[in-house]
This record gives sequence, structure tokens and C-alpha cells, in this order.
Amino acid sequence: MTTFSPFKILPLLIPAAFLLTIGILWLPGHPELLNNGYVDTFKTAFLGILLEALPFVLLGALLSSLLRVFVPDEMISRWIPRHPVPAILFGCLLGIIFPVCECGMIPLVRRLMHKGMPLYVAIVFILSGPILNPVVYGATLTAFRSHPELAYARMGLAFAVSALIGLVIYATIRKSPLRLSIPREGGEEHHGTTRGGRVVAVFVHTSDEFFEMGKYLIIGCLLTAGIQTFMNHGSLTAIGERPLGSYLFMMGLAFVLSLCSTSDAFVASTFLHSFPAGSLLAFMVLGPMLDFKNSLMLLSLFKTRFALYLFFLIVSAVFTGSVLASLWL
Amino acid sequence: MNNARSIRFHYLLRAVILLAFALYIGHLVQQDALHYYVAPKLARWIRLCPVPLSLMALSLGLQAVLGKSSVLCDCEHRLPRSGLGSSALYSLFLLPLLLGFLLPDRALGSAAAARKGLTLSYTAAESGSGAKFTPSNPYEAEFAELAGKLYGESVIPVYPEIFSETLGAINLYKSQFEGREISVSGFLYREPQGAGQTSYAVSRFLVQCCTADATPFGILLEPGTQISLPADTWIEVRGKLHVVLYQGVETLQITPEVLTAVPEPSTPYVYTSADAAAAWEELQP
Repeated sequence: MTTFSPFKILPLLIPAAFLLTIGILWLPGHPELLNNGYVDTFKTAFLGILLEALPFVLLGALLSSLLRVFVPDEMISRWIPRHPVPAILFGCLLGIIFPVCECGMIPLVRRLMHKGMPLYVAIVFILSGPILNPVVYGATLTAFRSHPELAYARMGLAFAVSALIGLVIYATIRKSPLRLSIPREGGEEHHGTTRGGRVVAVFVHTSDEFFEMGKYLIIGCLLTAGIQTFMNHGSLTAIGERPLGSYLFMMGLAFVLSLCSTSDAFVASTFLHSFPAGSLLAFMVLGPMLDFKNSLMLLSLFKTRFALYLFFLIVSAVFTGSVLASLWL
Repeated sequence: MNNARSIRFHYLLRAVILLAFALYIGHLVQQDALHYYVAPKLARWIRLCPVPLSLMALSLGLQAVLGKSSVLCDCEHRLPRSGLGSSALYSLFLLPLLLGFLLPDRALGSAAAARKGLTLSYTAAESGSGAKFTPSNPYEAEFAELAGKLYGESVIPVYPEIFSETLGAINLYKSQFEGREISVSGFLYREPQGAGQTSYAVSRFLVQCCTADATPFGILLEPGTQISLPADTWIEVRGKLHVVLYQGVETLQITPEVLTAVPEPSTPYVYTSADAAAAWEELQP
């Protein structure tokens, strides 16, 4: 049942950081030590990202636990078309109905998969959901006022990439790559006896999900805030001079910044002078699909091998797609 | 698998942590400090979070105290088994709480702006697109309308409510605003440069969702200006606008006539406005 994962070592870094914090606070001169720009920037960025994600994680955990307690197992699989092509379209449309940020997506998707959603549909939903929705479309149009074609290209590329990856997963993966293979739940007899009944059960499950996802979220936020605090954008732009370098740079930036999909378009628009449009497209499509925060969450959901395969598919599809799209932009 | 007693312990500990998160958010709301971290449209949702958080804490507490041992099981969500695993997990959750309660809330300033790179020219469109304030595509219509309104003022005011839009509109038609007088406030930004040369700018952070996406926007001040104030001081500048070449790009610059220190505003960041031209009308006295 227990599979070894190198990421189990990650939480050990945290007690060390925790002790370090306490150590610093214990030192006599701590107000001076703490009173510098780095600590302030780090705290503001860290809590900003965490607070931003909190409502979405809670919503995702709550939806997931409602599904677990109230929706019978077979219902979800009955809604999803049998044939892969309409099923993939269905996965893309789900994003329009549930405009959840990517942080809330993972607990919800995990539950949907346990309720019988096929893997490839779940993957399509994870990838397209944070981009293919009206909120993100509007935000992108506002950010690129003078280049509306970038907003269309973003939606189109996100759709193409997630549909393509869905098809590849459908064709290549047969075994379940879920990390925890939970036996099909007989939730009723298990929780019918709790005091307070189903309502308590819903909230107990919500907090289980919250702690399960929360640890990856906090580690992701810590790493992101650290990078935001110490990385100098200006010194990195030199990499973007060469045409290929600009794509790799913008994709790397999207990965480490871990921005919310509704706000990344604006950050991308500040690079409009110095980078080709295709690389901005790569930034805006890759970021919501794959970044620090959600790659840790994906690793918690899937076995390491499958997660790495998925990361590879995403990066290569987004890269190829945005280079092709730049011919048209 | 954990036994019932240790599950009760985990549940109680988790209930306490969830309550602490709820309290922290309540504390931020009460101190009116949420705006240091997230934009107002998101703050609405965060204000609601203490409700599910305390319900979760209450349910966990009920389950831990009153739940029968037979129904307590961690078969689906495995709880950490070792003492080390538990302390790692819970100290991870305590970290944001510690940071939040112990360190003061402070707005981003020059240090962050220098690392993110101050945005001095906002829209990519080429300036002076022929006739006066004609949008070259429908998406520029809002900026064109705003630019027309701005042009009618003897001293162009930059309202915080439409800060980025105002700078955007002026930038789009920068050649037509050459020599016009402007009044703007923000924090003093000192560009870190070698060779003893410093350039100053007046700047503000635009926040879309949260502080992670905060983007510093600003206007350059003429390099000759003598400024004795330290970086990050909030200032109000009035002076004439000029278009200069800065690092090879046509950039707006103010030649300050009056430069005064002002107190930090209660909302240090600026946000985007859905319809800047309409917001402008509302802001008129």
C-alpha cells in the first residue's frame, strides 16, 4: 500500500525552517534582522498566494466531500459519454460550468475519478478548466487590449493541448495511475452511524481533504514566494534574446511564478515589448496547467511516473503549439 | 492504521489549527489588512472562509469527543503515523499563522519593484496614431475615450481608482500629451544603477488577484531632480510630461515642479477598473 516517493522528504524541510524562524525570533537583535525588505516581500507574497488559494481549496474540498457523501457511485459515469471524442469535449466544457481555480481542482477531480470518471476525461478537465472559462477569457481580453488575437489564441491553444493530451492518455494508459487505490466506497454503512449524521461527515471529509491538499499547497506557496522574493526579472531577460530562449524562459517563468489563471495575462502583458507574442502565449497556457503549486498537488494525486509523463506531455504540447501559433499571430 | 485514540488526538489538533486560520482571517478583516494581500474582488470570498473553517473545526471536535471508536478510521485519508511526520505536517500549517500573527503587515515597495522590474511604458501600441484619440481597434476605445477626457484638464489628475488606465491612456497617445501638466502620487522608486547615476520614478503596484501578481507601474522623474527623500516615501508630484528615450524605448517622464511627501494611503495598491471612462465621470467633483 505504501509506495516510496522522494517527495515524502520535502515536509522534513519544514520543521527545519520552523526551528530557524524560532531561532531568529529568539536572537536579541531580531527586530533589525527581520526588518528588511526580503522578509516583508516574502511574507506578503507567501500569505498573498495562500489567502488567494484558500477559498478555492475550501470550495474544492467541500464539493468533493459533498460528492462523496451524497452522490451515488454510478451517477457520474452515467453522464459521461462512452466514446472518447465526445467525452473529451465534455471534459473541456466542464471548465465552463465550474470556473474553479486550479487549486480547487485536484480534490474535486480525485473524487470524480473515484466516482467513475475516466482518467483521460479527468486530465482534460484538470488542464482545460483553469483556462477555458469566461472569467479568464475576459481577464485576458482586458490585459491585451491592443492584441485581442492573443486572447483567442490562448483559448484555442488551451483547448487543442488538453484535447490532444486527453487522446494520448486515452490511447496509452491502461492501468490506474492513482497514488491511493481506494476500494470502491460503501460510504453509507460507514458513515450512517456517526453522530450528527451526514452533515458532520461532510465537514470531517472536507477537513481531511483540506489537510491532504493543504500541505502541498503550503510547500508550493513557500517555494513560489521564495522565488518571487529573490529572483530578479531584469537579470533573466537576457535569456529571452534568442528566439528559442524566449519560449523556454517564459515557460519556466510561468512554472515558478504559480500565478492564478485570472491574473497571469496581466503579468504577461508587461513582457509584450521584450518578448515575441508566441512566448507570451506559452506563458499563459502553460502556467495554469503546470506550476509549482499544482505540480506538487498532481504528484500527490498520481504516481510519480505518471505525473512526470503528464508534465512531459504538457510541456512539449504547449511548446509546439505556441511555436505553431506564433506563425499565425 | 492509527488507533482510535490517536485519531481523536489528530482531529482535535486539526480543529485547533482550522480555528486558528479562521481567527487569523477574522483578525485581518478586523484590522482592515486583507488589502495588503489580495484584491478587493477576492477579499469578498476570503471573508467568507471563516464560516466553513469553523464548521469543519466544530465537526472534527464533535467527532473527536463524541464519535464512537468504531467509526473512527483513517482508511481513506491516511493520517501521519510517526511523531516526526505529524510534527512536520502540523508545523507546516503553523508556519503561515506564525508569519501572519508575528510580523507586521506591510505593503510591497521599492525592493520588490526593483526585482520585478518597473513597468514604465504600458501599452505596446505605437504612439501618435494619426488623428486625435482615434482608437486603431475597438479594444482601445476605452483608453481613447479616457484620453479625450484627460486632455480637457488643465492639470491632469491621476486618480488611484483608475491609475493604470490613466497611465495606459496617456502612454497610448504620449506624443499628444507632450508638455501637459500632470499630478500623480505614489511611492518614490529609486532605480538601482551603477556608476553613481540614479533615476527616480513615482510608482504604484497594480494587484489583480493577490500580491504574487503585483506589477509595479510608474512614471520616470527627470534625472536632474534633487530628491533628498528616502526610497519608499509616499510623494505627490506635479509637473510637465515629456517623452524621452529611456533604455532605448520612448518613455514618459515628468519634470517635477512641486514634489511633496504625503502620508501612505490606506490602500497602497491600485486595482483595475471595469470601465475607466465611466469611473472617471464618477470621480469628477
